[in-house]
Amino acid sequence: MGKRRQRLRLVGLALALALLAAACGGGDEGGEQAQPSAAQRGGVLRTAQTDFGFTNGLDPTGEYLGFAWDVLGAMSRSLMGTKHVADAAGNELFPDLAADMPQISDDGLTYTFKLKPGIKFGPPVNREITSKDVAYAFQRINTASLVAQYGFYYFGVVKGMDGKAKSADQKVEGIETPDDQTIVFHLEKPTGDFLYRVFMAATAPIPQEVAKCFTKAGDYGRYVISSGPYMIQGSDQLDISSCKAMKPISGFDPTKRLALVRNPNYDQGTDNLRSNFVDGIDLAINTNVDDIFNKVEAGQIDSSIYDPPTKPVLQRYLTDQAKKQYLHANQGDRTWYVFMNMTTPPFDDINVRKAANLIMDKAALLQAWGGTTSGEIATHIMPPTLLNNKLGADYNPYATPDNRGDEAKAKEAMKQSKYDSNKDGVCDASQCKNLVMINRNTPPHTDSEPVVASSLAKIGIEVKPRELATSAAYTTIQTVKNNIPIGLNASWGKDYADPYSFAVLFDGRSIIGTGNTNYSLVGITADQAGKLGIKYPSGAQVPNVDTDIDTCQAIPNTEVDKRIDCFVNLDRKVMEQAVPWVPYLWEKKITITAPSVTKYEFDQFSGHISLTQVAVNNNATIS
Amino acid sequence: MWRYIVRRLLWVVVVMLVVTSITFLVFFVMPSTDPAVTFAGKNPTEEQIEEVRHNFGLDKPVPVQYVLFIKHVFLGDQYGWPGLGFSYSTRSPVRDQFFGRVIVTVQLAVGAALVWLCIGIPIGIVSAIKRRTLVDRLSMGLALFFVSAPVFWLGLMGLWLFWYKLRISPGTGYVPWGDSFTDWLSHMILPWIVLALLYAAFYARMTRGSMIETMGQDYIRTARVKGLPEWKVILKHGLRSSLTPVVTMIGFDVGALLGGAVITETVFNLQGVGQWAVNSVFQGDLPVILAVTVVVSIAVTLMNLIVDIVYAYLDPRVRYT
Repeated sequence: MGKRRQRLRLVGLALALALLAAACGGGDEGGEQAQPSAAQRGGVLRTAQTDFGFTNGLDPTGEYLGFAWDVLGAMSRSLMGTKHVADAAGNELFPDLAADMPQISDDGLTYTFKLKPGIKFGPPVNREITSKDVAYAFQRINTASLVAQYGFYYFGVVKGMDGKAKSADQKVEGIETPDDQTIVFHLEKPTGDFLYRVFMAATAPIPQEVAKCFTKAGDYGRYVISSGPYMIQGSDQLDISSCKAMKPISGFDPTKRLALVRNPNYDQGTDNLRSNFVDGIDLAINTNVDDIFNKVEAGQIDSSIYDPPTKPVLQRYLTDQAKKQYLHANQGDRTWYVFMNMTTPPFDDINVRKAANLIMDKAALLQAWGGTTSGEIATHIMPPTLLNNKLGADYNPYATPDNRGDEAKAKEAMKQSKYDSNKDGVCDASQCKNLVMINRNTPPHTDSEPVVASSLAKIGIEVKPRELATSAAYTTIQTVKNNIPIGLNASWGKDYADPYSFAVLFDGRSIIGTGNTNYSLVGITADQAGKLGIKYPSGAQVPNVDTDIDTCQAIPNTEVDKRIDCFVNLDRKVMEQAVPWVPYLWEKKITITAPSVTKYEFDQFSGHISLTQVAVNNNATIS
Repeated sequence: MWRYIVRRLLWVVVVMLVVTSITFLVFFVMPSTDPAVTFAGKNPTEEQIEEVRHNFGLDKPVPVQYVLFIKHVFLGDQYGWPGLGFSYSTRSPVRDQFFGRVIVTVQLAVGAALVWLCIGIPIGIVSAIKRRTLVDRLSMGLALFFVSAPVFWLGLMGLWLFWYKLRISPGTGYVPWGDSFTDWLSHMILPWIVLALLYAAFYARMTRGSMIETMGQDYIRTARVKGLPEWKVILKHGLRSSLTPVVTMIGFDVGALLGGAVITETVFNLQGVGQWAVNSVFQGDLPVILAVTVVVSIAVTLMNLIVDIVYAYLDPRVRYT
């Protein structure tokens, strides 16, 4: 009996250690990308995710989700495009619907594009795409009721676009279509990254005869007409004889499934950006994340796509040499950070913000996220790939030994602050106690929380974590009058591969009362603070980088080096002179594939598996 | 009896009004999330947020929104009857999604209820009759285990064993029985059993306790003295009155399950009402939350009405006027 109990204890101990190891995550890098054999055409990429989570029901005008851009990238062609591959090559722009690079006027205010001839919409529209279809996409972006979710990239940029048009039939003053193959954009101001903006999914051509029937945000999502290699299954059955006759396309049920099949009108000869190996793409909703990865492991589906693997799954793939080749970790171009509100004590003092950066145990935060497979320690704001690697992890203004935090240096910074009256390096003011810290209520955020709390406690900052569901956490920090001093729930991913899509976060002019994304309130003025109902810190000036952003943004992306250097300096300035964040992680996107995936590729733009570049060797069909 | 039923049905309406008004209050007075902000994009302007608010009808005063909601439930809206509005997150009519999902939930709840009754009641009877024997102790020990075992754990273990290891279950998901009856059945069996095990354990313990009490009554002794066979004494005289608390319980349980067995639905990827409701709460999708609330309140009150009617059949002393 005694021996049996001892054996049981040993088994229990082994089990506990195994669970602990699984919970701690791995510190190893993901496996090298598996490319077991040459890519072949055919088969169906079968994948699943827990929830589509579309921001606008897949309607390209307002859809603002990386995963949706992945799908729309396979269904539509914009004037410009990328090769839908990983790393820097996936960020490079090429003409897609456009026949060539545009003509840009010397003052940078006029862009003229010529369209490739003979490119057709998919069924049931079946007609040639014209410049008016591209102009119509912009008219939709400009329509108030359609709520274009990244309309800010066009409003005040293209002449006549302000997002307030009453109808999508209303032409945009700054867009001309002199003939069916030509489109001319007139800009209000030089916009260096304009080519990226005519690459976004919302700008892909939309047939007016179908989309005119949908006048509310998101309604067009179940009727999207293809201009790319794939279309929603059942598109050919859509009756477009009248608005009343149209019924949602059968291959898309937002709560269950999205099935894409080849667009019969697509001509591969006109497209050198996509390979389109698979015959179809079957995206199912599966609410059980464990089950998704079990099905990948069992070969019932080919790949994960959106959901990150759970820690036990990750551990299994990292430790099993046979499986490791099917784990893919790609740069996600996303920064996770702790934000500090510059108008709220004690973070209205730059020395406190610097001390917070110096004390943070970023190594422990990385561990909480699952180790180096899940990302790398962020040392500044913009992910290095967006800055053409001109500012990498070697730039670290708050470097500490092994990224574990440096108590001595942090205390030195704290001593300079007005909240440390006895100058012992520990905040002794009441404003440092009971600071509400917003967080999400799911791992790895909950695992990161004690690390942040204990790090800050070393310099006398005592936080009171409030764990909320993701959307509730965002709503809370996005409401300025809530005056949230610090938050651990936020991250920012690029919209397109230009540093402006990060710089926009620090534009003081864009601060609004609700839905605000400049959580630290960089650049807020006393006047703005008064209007928003919050106190402007007395005796301090909130740093402002609006002019720096404008300067960088005026440099066209044809002068890449100059533009990038400008943003590099902006990143440095924000990190050293504003210090709104403690950036701690540049996240990697982890995808797990089954052996049936014979060619894996990652789309750097969308941040997900590349739907147009992967190949499978299954015999599945879309039913 | 009919007057009683009509009166109770009117109460269903009252309960629904109270429950939905509380839901409205909770949503607007203690908002966890602002749908207008959530659906206005990553970096919205104030105008866009207002536009979304207007699109969703959230710019109207709360009492007006409530009256409109009630009006649509009773009279229908542009998407048909009952009018359950438009989902913010899926941009489709709640009514269509609801009917698609409630069918799954009803199949799960009713199937599981049949399984747990078929398991729980016989075990309860045997345990009561064979009191303090090995069978009784074993049954009650197992019942205690299943009462204690979390459903998500049972579900994951069931999947691991029967799908991942033994390959005798097709795994997760739902196949409409119109597509393939055998596929439908094979996909539903495991969720039914997993969900039923927890309830079966409760029902076995309750049936046992009730039976033990009933079997000690004078009329049972009288029945035996009259020379009735033992099976008739147990099933006709003992079981019938022992079932009264079981019927009460099943009314509540099935009613509540029609609001969704969230965990079972999630683990087995059955896209029913419960898992949908939970996601909608996180996303601030008020029309969906209200639709589920209305249905659960109606289901629970209707099930209670059915229970009261069945009482009259089981116990002749109960009469309704």
